[in-house]
Amino acid sequence: MKNLLEFKNVNYFYQTKESEIKALDGVSFDVKEKDFTSLVGPSGCGKTTILSLTAGLLFPSSGEILIDGKKVEKNDGRIGYMFQRDHLFEWRTIWQNITLGLELQKQKKDPQKLEFANELLKKYDLYNFKNKKPRQLSGGMRQRVALIRTLVLQPSLLLLDEPFSALDFQTRLKVCDDVYDIIKSEQKTALLVTHDISEALSMSNKIVILSKRPAKVKEVMEINFSGETPLSKREDDDFGKYFEMIWRNLV
Amino acid sequence: MKKTKQINYSKARKLYLKNLRKDKIIVLIGQFALLAIFIGLWQLLADTGAIDPFFFSSPSRIVATIIDLGKTGNLWIHIWTSLYETIIGFIIATVIGSLIAIALWWSERLRKIMEPYLIILNSLPKIALGPMIIFWVGSGTGATIVMCILICVILTTISMLNAFISCDNDKILLMKSMHANKFQILFKLILPNSLPAFISVLKINVGMSWVGTIMGEYLSSKAGLGYLINYGSQILKLDIVMASITLLCILAAGMYFLVSPLEKKFKR
Repeated sequence: MKNLLEFKNVNYFYQTKESEIKALDGVSFDVKEKDFTSLVGPSGCGKTTILSLTAGLLFPSSGEILIDGKKVEKNDGRIGYMFQRDHLFEWRTIWQNITLGLELQKQKKDPQKLEFANELLKKYDLYNFKNKKPRQLSGGMRQRVALIRTLVLQPSLLLLDEPFSALDFQTRLKVCDDVYDIIKSEQKTALLVTHDISEALSMSNKIVILSKRPAKVKEVMEINFSGETPLSKREDDDFGKYFEMIWRNLV
Repeated sequence: MKKTKQINYSKARKLYLKNLRKDKIIVLIGQFALLAIFIGLWQLLADTGAIDPFFFSSPSRIVATIIDLGKTGNLWIHIWTSLYETIIGFIIATVIGSLIAIALWWSERLRKIMEPYLIILNSLPKIALGPMIIFWVGSGTGATIVMCILICVILTTISMLNAFISCDNDKILLMKSMHANKFQILFKLILPNSLPAFISVLKINVGMSWVGTIMGEYLSSKAGLGYLINYGSQILKLDIVMASITLLCILAAGMYFLVSPLEKKFKR
């Protein structure tokens, strides 16, 4: 598989009135196509900065970020962003929410895109809720809608910024499975940021461990568990072993 | 979605609903009782001479005065003048205030430049500008509307700007990640997201625009409820003053109840 995303020796400084803060210190890693990669690290280490850089919302102070071999540009159209909270617009119906991106890009009349949006809704059991408002849906369903909203635009890379952290534990495991299932069946490449080690372990095939600020790549681990879903991966014999390895690396 | 046809409520549910209804009725009775006691006591005290009706008027005298004013035909002119000034002032102030807020949201630099002026203008008692307004636009309806606008517009600007700015930054990032331009962020996110704040601004402005109208009419006017209050106090007919205040109460309440259903409609 070829590299979809490459970070090459990326440095990033935050400017504040008081001083210049180094957030990233020579960060290099890559994400292969259809990979599920997780970034873990102590809180405040600059994980979200990495996502913002990838999305073209920020730009590196030095170094290069490539998607598909091409440098990331401002508001790069090749990524889809999922946030901690679903950020569904309460005044819009589910259908209006998931077609928001099409509307913004003036593609709301493209029958193929609309058909694709409809298909996604049907496939992931949300079609009956098409004309409902977000507040009528459960937390897990809302997060699924948020994922579909990004998928409608057919991004080549999905960025997930702790997308489950606002959910309670029960819902979280379920939504984790759902989101994983959707990403896999749509054959998407994903980059997940989380501070939850077991979440990273259960979802990804590669984990990039970051140090505390300024973030450096401490280690890149390939993960290979038996089990199809994140939940079943948690039952793998080696799960605990890996967990401990990462835990030691973090503290 | 009310289930009105379901009959088999449990005992506890029946009790709960019954108590709910009881509570509502008691509150409603309480509200009317308070008004009735107030009016009754006022009338009683005035009739027995415990308070001097010349200074305190009385409900019966107020009603008589209103009927009297109605017969001479001027009452409707006064009511209409005040209502007209208030509604026009209310609409113009709300529109202008919101437009200024949008401009200030759009340009952070403009916002920073304007900030101290907004604060000063907000704390300036607008009534102080009264004499100047009369020189600028002449006395009468125009001056009153200007006063009304001055009182509402800064408050509208500040409240709406706060609502715009408090929009969740991640929502803006989300829009940006989907290639939204600034117009789209404004019209598809910031404005609909601020609708609840807009409705509370409307409710506040109902009250404030009445303040503006009455102040304006005190300053200089030939008609209106504020004029009537002023006139009544000058010729020492306090019944006219009290009658005007009663009418004001009714009008302000009416306008408030016209605006408040909007809140229910748009509340999430």
